[in-house]
Amino acid sequence: MPKTTPFLDTPSLSRRALLGSIPVAALFLAGCSTTAASTATATSTATAIPTAAPAAPAAPAAPGSIAALAQAFQATLSTDQQATLVHEYTLANAELWSNLPQGLLGGSGGMGGAGGAGGGAMPSGAPGGSTIPSGAPAGGMTGGQGTGSAGPRLGLSLGDLSDSQLASFNALLAAVTGSTAGLGYDEIQQHLNADDYLEANGGGSDYGRANFYISFLGAPSDTGMWEFQFGGHHLAVANTYNNATLVGATPAFRGIEPFSAFDGNGRTNQPLAVKAAAFTALLAGLTTDQLATAKLGSVYSDIVLTPGNDWAFPTAHEGLQVSVLSDTQKALVLAAIAGYVNDIADADAATILSKYQGELADTYVAYSGTTALTEQNDYVRIDGPSVWIEYSMQHGIVLAGNHPHSVWRDRTTDYGGTKA
Amino acid sequence: MNRAARTAGAGRMHRLGLGMLLLLAMVTGLVVFSAQSASAHILPTTTVVLDVHESEVDASLRIPLDDIEAASGIDLGSGSAAEVAAQEDALRAYILAHFQPTSTSGQAWTVTVDTFGSGSTEELGTGVFGYITAVAHLTPPPGLSERDFELGYTVVVDKEITHIVIVSVRSDWASGALGTTRELGTIRLDTVTGVVSSLEVDLGDGSAWTGFVSMVSLGVDHIRDGVDHQLFLLTLLLPAPLLSIRRRWAGVVTARRSVRRIATITLSFTVGHSITLALGALGLPVPQQAVEALIAVSILVAAVHALRPIFPGREALIAGIFGLVHGMAFSATLTELDLSGGQLALSLLGFNIGIELMQLAVVALVLPPLMLLARTRLYRPLRLGAAGFAGIAAAGWLAARLGLPNPVADVADGLEGASFTVVAVLWLAAVVVVTLHSRAESRARVEPAGSGGAGSPSAPRPVAGGFSRRDSAGLARSSTGERTPQPKAPWLWRAGENVLRRARGAWDPPGLTRRSLTDYDPTWRASHPRLPWASGEVGEDFTRPTERSSTA
Repeated sequence: MPKTTPFLDTPSLSRRALLGSIPVAALFLAGCSTTAASTATATSTATAIPTAAPAAPAAPAAPGSIAALAQAFQATLSTDQQATLVHEYTLANAELWSNLPQGLLGGSGGMGGAGGAGGGAMPSGAPGGSTIPSGAPAGGMTGGQGTGSAGPRLGLSLGDLSDSQLASFNALLAAVTGSTAGLGYDEIQQHLNADDYLEANGGGSDYGRANFYISFLGAPSDTGMWEFQFGGHHLAVANTYNNATLVGATPAFRGIEPFSAFDGNGRTNQPLAVKAAAFTALLAGLTTDQLATAKLGSVYSDIVLTPGNDWAFPTAHEGLQVSVLSDTQKALVLAAIAGYVNDIADADAATILSKYQGELADTYVAYSGTTALTEQNDYVRIDGPSVWIEYSMQHGIVLAGNHPHSVWRDRTTDYGGTKA
Repeated sequence: MNRAARTAGAGRMHRLGLGMLLLLAMVTGLVVFSAQSASAHILPTTTVVLDVHESEVDASLRIPLDDIEAASGIDLGSGSAAEVAAQEDALRAYILAHFQPTSTSGQAWTVTVDTFGSGSTEELGTGVFGYITAVAHLTPPPGLSERDFELGYTVVVDKEITHIVIVSVRSDWASGALGTTRELGTIRLDTVTGVVSSLEVDLGDGSAWTGFVSMVSLGVDHIRDGVDHQLFLLTLLLPAPLLSIRRRWAGVVTARRSVRRIATITLSFTVGHSITLALGALGLPVPQQAVEALIAVSILVAAVHALRPIFPGREALIAGIFGLVHGMAFSATLTELDLSGGQLALSLLGFNIGIELMQLAVVALVLPPLMLLARTRLYRPLRLGAAGFAGIAAAGWLAARLGLPNPVADVADGLEGASFTVVAVLWLAAVVVVTLHSRAESRARVEPAGSGGAGSPSAPRPVAGGFSRRDSAGLARSSTGERTPQPKAPWLWRAGENVLRRARGAWDPPGLTRRSLTDYDPTWRASHPRLPWASGEVGEDFTRPTERSSTA
């Protein structure tokens, strides 16, 4: 008869061995799980993206106002889309703009955004920027302060809008950004064509108009503070309204690649041509001596007040003071300034431009590199009591050839004056 | 063994099964991420990476090509190695003029710059950019600490004020920081004041103990992440619980004996790799590629041995010899740290201790389920599968390490986390076996011997040996009126019974009698005067009939 064998003939051994190995296993795992635990913490922080949207519906705004157009656009959206569109008005949320494509703002950027919204501990980039970080933060994350960005843009992608929703948004955008040819709304349409061009010419899906985002910080209304945010690669529109009045049109970022003219969407596009021409004309209008005074000693590979570098305006003005210029030259300075100010609604632009004109004598023009403004590290700046405009030529990222970055800031009305 | 103990043993096994399941949940739920740290910089940045040694700090510089050209005025052309080499003196002079560390009390450090190179890369949002590299050696004045100083670095950033320099520490033995780069800070323009910040490097306290502990941890990590080292040892241990009969693996040896074998093999491996680890770390040149290839060979040999015994009884010797090879690979990790003096000695000790601890943990984790499963029919397919897998991986590695990159090696390299899964599967199998066994045991007790009958098709398989003793124990208890477990849901009980029967068919081999084995190989007994069962530590299951007939 075949003998069936118990599979455990030496139970004492296996029990002992199994029992004995448990502490060993626990030790073994403890070593590994420390890593896992800390990672879990980090992950949960990362997912806490600031989204708390004020739910209270605002009272109907005055017909024809920006707020009314914003409310009309909002009304075309589904509940989910509205929740994506509207966020709390905070400086942390207002700072969520960048020159980078949205696709490059994930990862650690998300962490920074979460931290800012959660604890309000966002580095402001104000004088604190001078103090040296004394070491890595506890979490081991290097914040995106400075050239980096706090996190991905909030809001609704252009790619998620239906035709009728898009039409309603375009009506709002046109009202916000004004009717000057080659600037404002027209420039933004060319800008979107440019990003579509990048998508189709080597940039891939990180580029293209579907990567541009609309967000309302605070509910649009005739009372209280809210910001219209629209941006994507190389673009940031940031109009802040308080009690139905525009109280800030900056930080406004404009960059472009491709920089030279290209065909797209049934037209010839060269989005930053007006701005570039105004700067070139300004520098070309200066005498050799004036240029020598205007020339900066340092090399500028980028703008100074990059995304995230908020409320960090230099105390001292550098370069050539506009008060010494002729009226023709002053007009050229004002034209260069208008290249940015006319990116907003015509009436608002006129108000701001007249303010900057009044401060022109105390405004400075400075440059670095060549006056052609076509070479890498070419740089020009207009720095006044209020106005701050920088324009910097950099090497190409997606395409060969240089491309500009530029920013318009205001020493008092950036983010509508919100500093914290 | 007395009956009471056996019965109690069955209950304990249930609890043990639960415990093991919990353990498994922990093992399988374990995911190890590598925390990523990348801030979105738009323009290429300079990186200064510090390696802190005894009385010296090495700073590895990576400076974007466009920026050093713009700031220094040195023309480097396209940044090729030859163009950089041609401008080495100019670059060195420029860097030395802009890199002047001082102690906090103000004394200047000595700086030398060498090892120039170049390359190109792309970072988030930067596009592709060229860079130059160089290493600066920073030495504090005699008697001053290398752990606290002003970095005094203004290369590029003093001229190109939009540039950003990121300073980090890659290795700092005395503070235990070896594998993880820690950012110390940035050197950049303060836009408000227009001043470029300086950076004080304060590395905090460091101690020999901290360094030593970090080396132990490095040793642990090295084995945990070193798939090839683990695979060699585990593959070599795979047949340790088995008997080699006529160049085939057949039957199991006693538990005590397999533990002794496993211990000897592990110890030999340890002695082997300790010798070469020490020699290599102390400066013996190690032919890296050959060693890596030989490691693949060692796994291949172990895999073949696990399939068919090729060096039965000499596993320890083989483990020792190949241990020498693995030790040479271990030593490379220490050599890379560029240590000397007391730090090296402590590192050697700590690193080796870490390796041994982790190796011991791996063996301790794998040994119990392995020995348990070796007594079941599952073991043959498991052994063949595992050996086959190890063999394929080793062949892939061997080819890759001889210069033929291949997907097999890539997959095998990616198995870092898989050892957890392997351990989990082994334990799961062992839990299943233990659980089913103890249920079979209690089932056998519940059912009166006559009711189902050995001949009835619905009854569990007839039991013999140990089971039969336990059967009689169960009956005896039943007859004394002790409460027997009653199923709460009869249909569930029956379903379970069916599963149980099938499962038991899979692991309960129709074993051989002692006599049949000696009949099968009459010379065997003579050549093995110390038969395991002669000493009373009997293993009754030897070969399966199929194995026997195939060799006959």
